[in-house]
Amino acid sequence: MSGPTQGATTEADHPLRVVPQPTPESQPFWDACARHELVIQRCRSCGRFWFPPSNHCQHCWSEDFAWEPVSGRGELYTFTVYRRAYAPELAEQLPYVVGVVELEQGPRLITNIVDREPGDVRVGMPVEVVFLDFPAGVTLHAFRPRENSRTPSTRAV
Amino acid sequence: MYQRSVAIVGAAHSQLGEVPGSTAIGLMADASVAAVADAGLTPASIDGVIVRGPDDEYCFQQQVGERLGLNAAFSTSLGNGGASQALAVVLASLAIEAGLATTVLCGYARNSWSRTRRSGSRKARMNQSTHNRTREWRDSFGYFGEPATHALGAQRHMAMYGTTKEQLGHVAVSVREHATRNPHAQMQSPLTMEEYLDGPLVAEPFGIYDCSLRTDGAGAVVVTETARAKDLPHPPVVVRGFGSHNNLRGWTIDDHMVQTAARASGERAYRIADVSPSDIDTAQLYDCFTYMVLAQLEDYGFCEKGEGGELVASGALGLDGAIPTNTSGGQLSEGHVEGMLQVVEAVRQLRHEYPAERQVPDARLALVSGHGGNTVCHTTLILEGG
Ligand SMILES: [Zn+2]
Repeated sequence: MSGPTQGATTEADHPLRVVPQPTPESQPFWDACARHELVIQRCRSCGRFWFPPSNHCQHCWSEDFAWEPVSGRGELYTFTVYRRAYAPELAEQLPYVVGVVELEQGPRLITNIVDREPGDVRVGMPVEVVFLDFPAGVTLHAFRPRENSRTPSTRAV
Repeated sequence: MYQRSVAIVGAAHSQLGEVPGSTAIGLMADASVAAVADAGLTPASIDGVIVRGPDDEYCFQQQVGERLGLNAAFSTSLGNGGASQALAVVLASLAIEAGLATTVLCGYARNSWSRTRRSGSRKARMNQSTHNRTREWRDSFGYFGEPATHALGAQRHMAMYGTTKEQLGHVAVSVREHATRNPHAQMQSPLTMEEYLDGPLVAEPFGIYDCSLRTDGAGAVVVTETARAKDLPHPPVVVRGFGSHNNLRGWTIDDHMVQTAARASGERAYRIADVSPSDIDTAQLYDCFTYMVLAQLEDYGFCEKGEGGELVASGALGLDGAIPTNTSGGQLSEGHVEGMLQVVEAVRQLRHEYPAERQVPDARLALVSGHGGNTVCHTTLILEGG
């Protein structure tokens, strides 16, 4: 295929690259992904968000935090288009886009950009979260251009 | 306060490139013996060992000591990735001024070409080396390899400042031109802009010519008190100043991708050395990827932020350019020994060892950089010739 163009909640038609192995700290993030919900840790002391998950606020070191559902909207901070496969099973997915998305709440996530030809992806593009369900029973977040509304069933929370 | 009483008196590298069957420690021994001989010293004079080997080899300095019959008053292996090699010279300088050691062997070795051949496929390596946190937040999204990490920075820089692929190409073409005059370089045939632009893509905007080489090789230098150097064969190359900075929060945080740790590291080094960018005669920069040269030229103040593309396109990196850079061919064309060869090349340029076709005219001050550890750690050296 010429690029990942999966619908938001459909079963992804490419093999999962590597199954994430959650830690006790990150388990709530992946559990939420499985519910098609994006959650980020927010400090109850200073009110700020952080990512990736850890048990201390990166800003004030408080251990008092909540997993907060977030809008899933953001901007594409930067990206790269993979043209070379780093493992044989990745070859059929080329080219695919790895991006860094800056959420409205501040934290940046490494993710995939879908529903857009790699040649048309742009830094600064408004994006929104979608969830890819893999046959292995794992769900990963990805982001697509925000003006795209071809799959209104998507739960972009 | 650093007294600038320390100098590099010996420098050498091992065979570079594809060295079938080589081991990191074997290459390290080759470079170390050559560096001590270059210094005109004997093994008995070495009382410090600061080295780094492959990241999965525990306490590499013990292997070095065992292999070369050295005990040491001061010794460690470093863990700052590509920033470690210049950092070894910083630590050696501080240890010597503090009286912890008198003469320190600094070095780095890798056998990445041979190691890859031995361990089989890329997939095997990928699965062996991946840390759990990396696996969770990067591998799951098909994010593998160092090219992508630096490509993310290049893409952001291009979007912010209009930097072009062709401007990145000027880095690759310029350092290759230097390599054509270096008989030890892995890549000795010229590279044209057309060949660069036609190079197979790896992780956009990078193609193969934006990426450094896979190398078996080692480099080493000997650092001692400048006062001891008067009886030695080569003029001392004084460690005039140094700096470091580490964006430990990560590459994707704040503006680290476009204003790298080189900025703050360089400011410290200029202050300690009491020089400014316009005083620097040659730069030996950590060129793991073309973009990192461009970003560092900006961060080190050789031009304004965002103007690196124009600077490299002006021919600035050439021997007669505004800032002759990576004059051995660097990691893009000479060999990738994680910043160690940058130190060696700076010493040779400041000694005026080369024939005119390879020598930076009137070179007196060199800036050397090391960068690494998931591209967040940075070290700067400012070295001064006689
Ligand atoms: Zn806090």
